[in-house]
Amino acid sequence: MNLSRLHAGRGILLALGIGFAGASGAAAAPGDGDAASRTAMVPAAGPGVYAEASLGANRYRLTVRGHKFTTRDDVEKYLAWRSADLTLAKDDRWFRFTETRHKGDTAPVAKRDPAGPRFSFRMNYFRPVWRYKLKGDKDWKSWSPFSGTPFFADGKDAATITDFEASADIRLHKDQVDDADPLAFEAGAVSDLLINQVSPPG
Amino acid sequence: MRLQNIPLIVALAGLACAGNPAAAAPWSRGFVVATYEYAFRYGGRASFTRAGEIEPGVDCPHGSSTHFANENQTRKALALQKWRGPEEVNRIVQPPGLDQVRAPVLTRFFIWNRAVSYRGYRHGIETYVNPFAADDPGEPEVVSRIGDGFNLDGKVGPRDFVSPDGEKGIDNALYRAWGCDAPWRGNGNATLDLRANDKMQEGLYTMIIRVSGNKDPMNDDDAVVEIGYSPDKIVKDARSNVAPDYSYRILKTAEYTRLKARVRNGVVETEQVSEMHTPRIAWFYDQTGDADFHQGKIRLKIAADGSASGLLGGYRDWRDLYVEEAFAQDGGQQGVREHEDHVALYYAMKRNADGMYDPATHQYLGISTAFRITAMPAYVVDPDKPMDIPILTAEADRKAAFEAIRAATIKSVTTLTPQDVPPGTSEAAVPSMEREITDLPSKDYFLKTLDRPHYPDKTALNSPVQARSR
Repeated sequence: MNLSRLHAGRGILLALGIGFAGASGAAAAPGDGDAASRTAMVPAAGPGVYAEASLGANRYRLTVRGHKFTTRDDVEKYLAWRSADLTLAKDDRWFRFTETRHKGDTAPVAKRDPAGPRFSFRMNYFRPVWRYKLKGDKDWKSWSPFSGTPFFADGKDAATITDFEASADIRLHKDQVDDADPLAFEAGAVSDLLINQVSPPG
Repeated sequence: MRLQNIPLIVALAGLACAGNPAAAAPWSRGFVVATYEYAFRYGGRASFTRAGEIEPGVDCPHGSSTHFANENQTRKALALQKWRGPEEVNRIVQPPGLDQVRAPVLTRFFIWNRAVSYRGYRHGIETYVNPFAADDPGEPEVVSRIGDGFNLDGKVGPRDFVSPDGEKGIDNALYRAWGCDAPWRGNGNATLDLRANDKMQEGLYTMIIRVSGNKDPMNDDDAVVEIGYSPDKIVKDARSNVAPDYSYRILKTAEYTRLKARVRNGVVETEQVSEMHTPRIAWFYDQTGDADFHQGKIRLKIAADGSASGLLGGYRDWRDLYVEEAFAQDGGQQGVREHEDHVALYYAMKRNADGMYDPATHQYLGISTAFRITAMPAYVVDPDKPMDIPILTAEADRKAAFEAIRAATIKSVTTLTPQDVPPGTSEAAVPSMEREITDLPSKDYFLKTLDRPHYPDKTALNSPVQARSR
């Protein structure tokens, strides 16, 4: 029984009031001890750090928030791991990252290449959007990886970043991963790679 | 009435016997396997290349894999490690002073071997023992629809192949995952196919098959197929072909399976069994052992001259396939030499896995496979006394090192806890790199910068095993 995952889900449920649809099913999966121990390898998130919201059938928006900014890589890897973990918890096999693009964005669109090399994941294409507040800010500002502008924290003293939030929209899939799609991420492989690298932001 | 019909019954019985003269006669046919390869269907033309591609074809539109084939490919692999700065990548790709050494190609080869053996998410994680800890470098996959193999699951899935005879639902996910891998792709000339077959024919191991029944050898619905290991080395003729009609003992060991079969017009098709044990492909003694197919079966077509060809198939634990391929020597050496990347092969198998579902991890631990064999007629006999597979004592240390690195790798990918390289292997070009860069002006940089395995006894060079030329 996936006690650890169930525990984490309950914690999130209590802290954020957001449902953890399907967690009970995953928790009841037979022989799920290995998955539980894997999830336990990552420290539990504090209240308000992680949230997931349903956007419809198999679609979710995952958000990671914090106040002590370390690096972009740290936060985005944690969000990617949560995406993989959610996929596995739902007994799905892979997720597709949905890019949040706007008019005027300059970053090239990643194209599928059925004749090219195939991948289980390409971390470069996991590109969440960010919101942040600097010291003294009342309102959130946003930054998009597709805008062509430098990352908002580049060159800044991390202590001046009082709030940050990265979010990713994903769609879960059960069948075999579409390995020609640059936005496809096989959950098991992503989780395996990141599980020793991530911890929730403070 | 009954008495009056006796002559008619006798006459009919006589006619039946005349039409099937071999009925009820015990028969047996033996074979020694002459070639044993992955059943990958080649779709290219050896004479055709495009810039940066090797033999593009309908199987692999951009040709065979080109990992580490040149400076650009190696640079691409090393750039995935964010902890490695651009200067380090440049120095590895083009070692300074390389033009001043006696064997520049070999020197660079071992530097690349050492460097690509450490591509984990941080310094010090050896990649081939811990493939899960490296980014997926990507692997070209087979895109054509035609493939050899069996319908192992009885279903016709969207990613299944169609056999050359038109049978749908062929499960050979290993072909999709590895069919473009350079050393296994070719039209009878794939380098590791040639190497493995050459070693088998030279006596590394012998696989034999015995088909027996009680009816007609060409049509028998109650036949038996036995497959296993023979302690007798393959006999070759003066032209270096596997010679027909020699005798081989079959050992009923861990690499032996007996299957029920049916023979129709000379085509032998076995039942599908939950476990099928046979010798596995190997080109070094350390790799030899049980292939361990799940839901395995065999199909053999017997030719008029007594030879046979066919397929073995079933689901295999893809972690076993990974280990057997990666650690024949060491992952970096084989990768750089053969233009394959075992990290890419690891991920390709993991995502194409389609059998042996493990509810504990929600993952498929098996991948459907098929192996192509050709066999020569032989006399397959039982040994006078039961015996086990002989142990090659001269290679016992290497075998032990292989089993140790296998165990470390299985542990790492199962627990996701990075494991050290066990002593006794040549993993990460130890001590080859130290030996080869002695006259390189920039050797101190590489000795200081590149990770390498460290062993409890603190010896710079490993056991004598590693110093041995392979």
